[in-house]
Amino acid sequence: MANMGSDSRHLLIPEVDHEINPGPMNIQFDSSDLRSKRPFYIEPTNIVNVNDVIQRVSDHASAMNKRIHYYSRLTAPADKALIAPDHVVPSPEECYVYSPLGSAYKLQSYTEGYGKNTSLVTIFMIWNTMMGTSILSIPWGIKQAGFTTGMCIIMLMGLLTLYCCYRVVKSRAMISSVDTTTWEYPDVCRHYFGSFGQWSSLLFSLVSLVGAMIVYWVLMSNFLFNTGKFIFNFIHHINDTDTVLSTNDSNPVICPSAGNGGHLDNGSIIFYANDTGLQQFEKWWNKSRTVPFYLIGLLLPLLNFKSPSFFSKFNILGTVSVLYLIFLVTFKAIHLGFHLEFHWFMPTEFFVPEIRFQFPQLTGVLTLAFFIHNCIITLLKNNKNQENNVRDLSIAYMLVTLTYLYIGVLVFASFPSPPLSKDCIEQNFLDNFPSSDILSFIARIFLLFQMMTVYPLLGYLARVQLLGHVFGDIYPSILHVLVLNLIIVGAGVIMACFYPNIGGIIRYSGAACGLAFVFIYPSLIYIISLHQEERLTWPKLIFHIFIIILGLANLIFQFFM
Amino acid sequence: MEESGSEKKMEKENPGPKMDPPLGEPEGSLGWVLPNTAMKKKVLLMGKSGSGKTSMRSIIFANYIARDTRRLGATILDRLHSLQINSSLSTYSLVDSVGNTKTFDVEHSHVRFLGNLVLNLWDCGGQDTFMENYFTSQRDNIFRNVEVLIYVFDVESRELEKDMHYYQSCLEAILQNSPDAKIFCLVHKMDLVQEDQRDLIFKEREEDLRRLSRPLECSCFRTSIWDETLYKAWSSIVYQLIPNVQQLEMNLRNFAEIIEADEVLLFERATFLVISHYQCKEQRDAHRFEKISNIIKQFKLSCSKLAASFQSMEVRNSNFAAFIDIFTSNTYVMVVMSDPSIPSAATLINIRNARKHFEKLERVDGPKQCLLMH
Repeated sequence: MANMGSDSRHLLIPEVDHEINPGPMNIQFDSSDLRSKRPFYIEPTNIVNVNDVIQRVSDHASAMNKRIHYYSRLTAPADKALIAPDHVVPSPEECYVYSPLGSAYKLQSYTEGYGKNTSLVTIFMIWNTMMGTSILSIPWGIKQAGFTTGMCIIMLMGLLTLYCCYRVVKSRAMISSVDTTTWEYPDVCRHYFGSFGQWSSLLFSLVSLVGAMIVYWVLMSNFLFNTGKFIFNFIHHINDTDTVLSTNDSNPVICPSAGNGGHLDNGSIIFYANDTGLQQFEKWWNKSRTVPFYLIGLLLPLLNFKSPSFFSKFNILGTVSVLYLIFLVTFKAIHLGFHLEFHWFMPTEFFVPEIRFQFPQLTGVLTLAFFIHNCIITLLKNNKNQENNVRDLSIAYMLVTLTYLYIGVLVFASFPSPPLSKDCIEQNFLDNFPSSDILSFIARIFLLFQMMTVYPLLGYLARVQLLGHVFGDIYPSILHVLVLNLIIVGAGVIMACFYPNIGGIIRYSGAACGLAFVFIYPSLIYIISLHQEERLTWPKLIFHIFIIILGLANLIFQFFM
Repeated sequence: MEESGSEKKMEKENPGPKMDPPLGEPEGSLGWVLPNTAMKKKVLLMGKSGSGKTSMRSIIFANYIARDTRRLGATILDRLHSLQINSSLSTYSLVDSVGNTKTFDVEHSHVRFLGNLVLNLWDCGGQDTFMENYFTSQRDNIFRNVEVLIYVFDVESRELEKDMHYYQSCLEAILQNSPDAKIFCLVHKMDLVQEDQRDLIFKEREEDLRRLSRPLECSCFRTSIWDETLYKAWSSIVYQLIPNVQQLEMNLRNFAEIIEADEVLLFERATFLVISHYQCKEQRDAHRFEKISNIIKQFKLSCSKLAASFQSMEVRNSNFAAFIDIFTSNTYVMVVMSDPSIPSAATLINIRNARKHFEKLERVDGPKQCLLMH
């Protein structure tokens, strides 16, 4: 769920008047200026269920509401004596949008129900939120599915997830009995499926968040390791790509998993036997044994912050990283040239068949790559011309599909196949460049910084959703928060040590989380609402059940293929 | 508008000579002679002008607030122009230094509070020398027969020394005239202090006040009209004023258990402050007392517009039934039943029968009785 808290909604952006401040204690000086008064409104609540644990309006806001109503009866309207000053009215809630493997940032909320973003800005925001670290696994996914199959699947998945996203956006309009202007998608689920819908959407949302955080930890360990290695090698003038299968080039492409029978290289093989300095370095700077732990000291304190709004200011890093990756891939492609051969069913020494049966792995990755269904409603709310919502959404999805296709196809096609096999494409395609490669070093640094700023935000969102729903308070005590953070960080460290295959983690968590938000809920809710309006026809029913089956198959086949 | 309508009404009813509120510094000393309220016990609400007493009084007692009257003699104008419930006329006499007397009929606030307590609101200190003179000349009258002194401090005040000085002079007067009075100090407008500094600043003030109040004992509260602290402070004050409150609570518990209620609340009649309550299980909303109080006071205001008075209320749906009814002469009771199958008549009969027991308890000199569990 993207919307945080359940306090009052729809408040003016406060014009904080920093006038003469007469003392250190004072919050506000003379509050007789009526123009600066914030409006205060809460949804009317009815006690319909004694066991309604999760309230949309907090007790504090409800008490304040009654107080303000009562006080307004005691004075004449022109009297300013008992009008609530700004500092006692709850401040506008912080609204975060996030896509698990993309960006997370704080959204400016607008009043009057509509926003001021032009179509271009909305399209860019959707693209920016979805784009992220899933780009790194797309070439590997294409390799797993086969080139032709991969391209077709990317386009088809884009269309399918776009249709499901469209269903999500339209879901609120079908509910006529209740005022849904402040609702996000989990609220719609709760409306149709009761508390089961709420808890399950919470669970799946957490699956996506924790999965994303684990992927981030693995990637951050990887990038930190490579950065450290680059700096060390640069200082000591060591060149160690000879040990690994690579192209003969000034800027080689390597195949890390070739010589080790499928195991990933966790550190360079020690062959400078008499160089104790390098030995020491290898011992203390190991991708799976030590670096993940160093990250703990860096990131665990950041996770405990009460408010991560500081981190959401670095949102621009994500865009810069993606643009740089596009540039990097283009440059490398120009440099390496194209190496494509089409074999339809039989694998050769250097190439993979065009159609492979591991294609579900690609669909798993793409489910998370195209995931924005949890906050698309909020993003489109700020669109100036609401009637263009569907058009803007489609354009954004098309751009995302094109970006993924571009990077995936270019990396796959330009991968130097005569010396190396296409099978060498790593789950993180930057791993195919040695740590001495300057361009990829820069890419790793960008991504490292970007992930370090998004990681606390994702942690905050996971904490707010889980603790807010289970304990009713988003910061019950430092102990609760610390335990939760340790669990999440621990999961990340364990995965980084024993299963650092980001492609695997992405496809499992993507298929699981996408099952609910992308496939089942939008279709099921559409079928139910049509049935309630008695507009359900057989073709629609069959089509949407087919979508649900696709989602289930997507998840099941992750375990078999 | 409300106030102008009532003013017109007042003018029609008082054909007698009008009092001109004195503005500016009067020549010579003028003094007001209080009407004959010497026999009734008083609750004094005192504090510097502008410390928030009038708003506080309006909120707690559900009176319409007076217009902005920050000029001299604010509280006297208050009594003249505000619309009061349960008001009665009294006679005031104005005596000047030469000895001439003028009498006026003035609306006098007479809010019945916890039996026979009368609330008096006085501005204490400030630049108005008129009030100063009046204060000193009428000191004994003001401070005689005082049951409770509630002194309001503005936490933002720049003149702490002066505030303490006036507070101490009030205490001296209390010591002379009503040494048994209970003293409460409210550190008000706490919402204007940064949240993380509130505890610290309040503790400082509390220590100072405790020290200054010796040999009298004072209880301190921090309050703000924008959160629940005002209601809680006044509820605590009321709780301490009830003589046999522990016994009341025990009987309330027995009552609740007998009728199988989820929660039973006892409210003070004029202010709907919670005197005591019993709940059989944890309730989620900690703000519910203040919310109910605000809702009912708002409803009472609406009723008074129709010249009707609120007596009782029943709220029922498939999950619960709640009954609010007059209980004893000073209290209202609220009973919440979560078993909606119990018919209303049964609960109302129970309340009616319990009323007699609790009436006897309220009489201070009455024999001690307990509700027996059958």
